[in-house]
Amino acid sequence: MANNYRGSEMKAVEVENLFFNYLDKKEKILDGINVTIRKGEIIGLVGLSGSGKSTFCHCICGIIPKIYEGNLQGTIKIFGIDIENMKIAEIASKIGVIFQNPDTQLFSPNVEDELAFGPENLCIERDEIGHRIKKALELVGMEKYRYHNPNELSGGQKQLIAIASVLTMQPQILICDEIMSQIDQKGVELIKKALIEIKNQGKTIIMVEHNNSNLNIADRVLLLKDGKIEEIKTRNE
Amino acid sequence: MIQELDARTKIIIVLVLSTWAIFFRNIQILLLVLLVSICISIFLKCDLKGVMYKTKKLFKIMIIIALVQSIFTKEGQAIFIINGFPILTYEGLVKTVEFILRVAIIVVSASIVVTSNYREIVQGLVQWKVPYEIAFMVSVAIRFMPIFSQELKDVVTAIQLRGIEIKKIPLGKKIKVYSYLFMPIVSSVIIKTKELSMAMEMKAFGAYPQRTSYMVIQMKKIDYIVISISVLCLLSSIFLYLI
Repeated sequence: MANNYRGSEMKAVEVENLFFNYLDKKEKILDGINVTIRKGEIIGLVGLSGSGKSTFCHCICGIIPKIYEGNLQGTIKIFGIDIENMKIAEIASKIGVIFQNPDTQLFSPNVEDELAFGPENLCIERDEIGHRIKKALELVGMEKYRYHNPNELSGGQKQLIAIASVLTMQPQILICDEIMSQIDQKGVELIKKALIEIKNQGKTIIMVEHNNSNLNIADRVLLLKDGKIEEIKTRNE
Repeated sequence: MIQELDARTKIIIVLVLSTWAIFFRNIQILLLVLLVSICISIFLKCDLKGVMYKTKKLFKIMIIIALVQSIFTKEGQAIFIINGFPILTYEGLVKTVEFILRVAIIVVSASIVVTSNYREIVQGLVQWKVPYEIAFMVSVAIRFMPIFSQELKDVVTAIQLRGIEIKKIPLGKKIKVYSYLFMPIVSSVIIKTKELSMAMEMKAFGAYPQRTSYMVIQMKKIDYIVISISVLCLLSSIFLYLI
């Protein structure tokens, strides 16, 4: 079962009895989900197109219902705190989301500005922002592109910058929503390497994927089907 | 170096040139202003050729508008008459030339601002106390312009690949074909806007009333000198023109 975890390990995300349907649709896209994700895990989330993977991720990070409305029931806790009681800024500093299309996530004329955008919104001091930018770029191996225009980078490099721009907000959980789907094999390898580095720093990663070969870095793989989640693979299998 | 002027100084220069373009109603003066704009653009290393190429279509439209305006201006000595009806008058011709010169000054002077990257422009505006949301909105519009233009090209190519040669079909059919472009482009823009807003929200955009800024731009001595000269030129020229 998806929620069969070792109790002594810290819970990063706890989802209990999660039901959701969009306002314009009667059928529930998430139909009673119970899942616990441990700190420091890489979770692969798979399922057919339209099965609700992105919706599930949007629920975890508060985009639903704080930005997009719908009928949501159930509890979602991040490190033991119910996200219903958290503001979007608080959630954003705990959960970072990277989307499929790097072009719509990068809106600054150079990489440095892009990485500074999140911490600036959180009112972080300038010196600290500089320190975070340096660390994030080192982590994804893109130090030499600090002053480049994101438009001039390859798809894989853009996605690495999108990851770094989220890392500067120092989230404990990363949600990667099909981030490797538009990237060539070389780019995919770079991203996977960066994700392993991030995991080694104790961060939790939830990666929505269609391509099974990208799931080899996942500790567990969850299948979302008919609005329910089941665990289909663990690291040892 | 004077070529590395602060974005705000460039904005002031553009404002001065644009004010001249709107204020003066004299072809010789407008020509002089255009000449000054071109000199400043070249001095600040603007890609004037690129700007001219990009605004080629705009100028074609402007010339058509100017000619129409000239035809409908009835004042002044008639130059070209059909059946006693003055088609082109001296006054109309003067207005047409003035209009074209004004547009040219505005386009050339706007190219001066483009020599700063839009982050510097946004930061300049923010340091001038323009609300960040407004300044950011402008920068996002600039950032996404090439993406939407590419999108439009892709949709047009997709239609052409289905055997429709847009350039060769009559105007009526062309309008009908263009109406087919509307839906895919609008839906793509909506999807992109949605993705962009989600990415921004998840980076805590607008979470607090204030935000820090990693980039800080500072005016140098040369900026203050250029701004002072620009403002002084503007005020004195207007004063001299009015007396």
